[in-house]
Amino acid sequence: MNEYIPQADKEFILKELKRYETPISALIPSLFCIQKRHGWVPAEAVKELSLLSDLPESRINEVLNFYTMFNKKPVGQLHVQVCCNVSCAMNGGRELAKHICETYKVGFEQVSPCGTVTVSPVECLGACDKAPMMQVGQAYYEDLTNESALEVLEKLAFEKAKVSAHV
Amino acid sequence: MFKCTINGHEVEVPEGASVIEAFKLLKEDIAHYCWHPGLSIAGVCRLCMVQIDDGPRLHIACNTLVKDGMKITNQTEVVKEAVRWGMDFHLINHPLDCPICDQAGECGLQEQYMKYGQYDSSMAEKKVKKRKVVDLGERVVLDSERCILCSRCVRFTDEVTKTNELGIFNRGDHSEIGTFEDQPLDNKYSLNTVDICPVGALTSKDFRFQQRVWYLKDTDSICTGCSTGCSIKVYHNKEGLFRVKPVFNEKVNGHWMCDEGRDLYKHVNAPVRLKQILKSVGNEWFPLGLERALDHLNEAFSKAENISVLITAQHTVEEYKALKNWAQQLQDKTINFVYWKNNPESFDSFDGLLIRGDKNPNTKGLLEAGFEFADASVLDSSDLVLAPMPENPAVYPKYMEKLEQLSKLQTQLCLLSVSNITQHETINFADGTLAIPMKTAFEKAGHFINHQGLTQKIHKGRVIVKAALGLDELLQAIKIGKWIQPQLLKSRKTNESSKVSGELW
Ligand code: SF4
Ligand code: SF4
Ligand code: FES
Ligand code: FES
Repeated sequence: MNEYIPQADKEFILKELKRYETPISALIPSLFCIQKRHGWVPAEAVKELSLLSDLPESRINEVLNFYTMFNKKPVGQLHVQVCCNVSCAMNGGRELAKHICETYKVGFEQVSPCGTVTVSPVECLGACDKAPMMQVGQAYYEDLTNESALEVLEKLAFEKAKVSAHV
Repeated sequence: MFKCTINGHEVEVPEGASVIEAFKLLKEDIAHYCWHPGLSIAGVCRLCMVQIDDGPRLHIACNTLVKDGMKITNQTEVVKEAVRWGMDFHLINHPLDCPICDQAGECGLQEQYMKYGQYDSSMAEKKVKKRKVVDLGERVVLDSERCILCSRCVRFTDEVTKTNELGIFNRGDHSEIGTFEDQPLDNKYSLNTVDICPVGALTSKDFRFQQRVWYLKDTDSICTGCSTGCSIKVYHNKEGLFRVKPVFNEKVNGHWMCDEGRDLYKHVNAPVRLKQILKSVGNEWFPLGLERALDHLNEAFSKAENISVLITAQHTVEEYKALKNWAQQLQDKTINFVYWKNNPESFDSFDGLLIRGDKNPNTKGLLEAGFEFADASVLDSSDLVLAPMPENPAVYPKYMEKLEQLSKLQTQLCLLSVSNITQHETINFADGTLAIPMKTAFEKAGHFINHQGLTQKIHKGRVIVKAALGLDELLQAIKIGKWIQPQLLKSRKTNESSKVSGELW
């Protein structure tokens, strides 16, 4: 037990559960908390959350599956969401997404062989004026070209590697 | 002879043969409606399209003669497209109600549709493909594409069973019914989801593809599975019983019934039944006509000093009344009634929804009939035991053990049984034991009184075993025997004949 939701997260979730009138309202912050820990939401974590919140697993799964922001399977160290909606598409967003895939030898929604990236084509992220753009983790990178995007990713990957080397 | 190549295979055909004949010779698949080997060529259905050599146009195979060296194919996209369009034209004015058409299942149009049909509708958007034949556990199968997302089944597991297995996952037109991690839907009421599903998305493993429902008749009845006594409909045709569904009854079961109750029709069907009266002599069973069986019984009853009746609460109010009357006629005999419960430890249990541990439909009815029950130990000192057996011996684990014990004591039994008890592997019944086929609750009319004291009627549905008797009918026959003239039998109103039968012994 507590393998997927460690004590610190558990405390956070319990606090969230108390905050709303119904426990189901606390699901989104709870699931984000789990995703922050693991990069995605494993089924085992859902089971633990179910015990913690007294909500049926199927109810949690409904919410989890409804939102694309929750990853239902493991993602690479960098989750690269490339906008492919109208403005970005007109400015080469789709080609950019493909280019990143080709560079890292990976298809959409998969973990690249090196484990570095997962590329997801997504709908408008609200930065149309800076198209094309991508979101990596929580940060936006805008006015991209194929080259500048890869540069960003290389830099981020390098930083990640440095951090994990320290740990 | 001409040589030609069809879909890459070479074949030799006599001069004057048509291309379609060459296809048939090779047993290669080719669509066609109007061509028939026994008739002239019409060439009107335009379905037997083929491509010949590199010709620019397609040809109809039925009206084109093979020439030496021809290369013919019907596998190219161009041909398939043409056949698809041909189908479309045939279907413009054709009704789309195959299920009520008598040709369904062996219809040329259907067969072509299975091969060339445009499974996607003409809507511009692509249809979302979802999961088919999903195994949802022991009893239910899901076809996600047929689901219209009404959420009835989800609400059933949330609100009625409170087991919460089902949910609607994903979003928009990708929404799909499912269980978390594909865990099975294994609550004791799961088949209700099949009943409430308005479409063919949830189906019952037991019933799917067994019968077309319009060939089934139904009879109102009461479930005999426990003392709740859910109102049901039993569906049957001349091949037997096929399914049981709940009927709304505000006082008893609401809209629902349990899964186990739905299995009870199975012991009614012919393969498992005792079909004629059998008598055991020297470890073998011999068939007996009713007349001779009555002789035998009368003799046995008159000889026996100490008679016991091993009764369960699985019979109707009417049958208990007949039993009581019968016993009152036999004043010179000791008759002990032994009331056998299915399982004393769990007898009073209740799952909070419908299922009760008392696996009998008429416990109240039996108790209200006013028997005085003796201790089960009297069975051992009896020389004749009348045992109207429980319909479903599976819920009476200890009952068969008792019969085995009695048989070891060489006690003569008169068994009234639904299942073919003579096939029992370990019991060696005493000489003179009689096994009489018994009617099930679906084959007789009468009343059951459920746990809350509600008297409910069962209706006579389909008779599966013609020779089967109800307990009351058997007692009636014993009572009347062959001493009574037939005309007396017919005109008999109430108790007259029972007086006569009192003298039998
Ligand atoms: S009851 Fe049937 S149609 Fe309705 S949501 Fe469930 S599976 Fe779909
Ligand atoms: S709850 Fe009892 S009476 Fe109702 S269906 Fe189940 S077994 Fe039959
Ligand atoms: S279309 Fe890409 S951010 Fe709006
Ligand atoms: S919306 Fe009224 S029955 Fe479904």
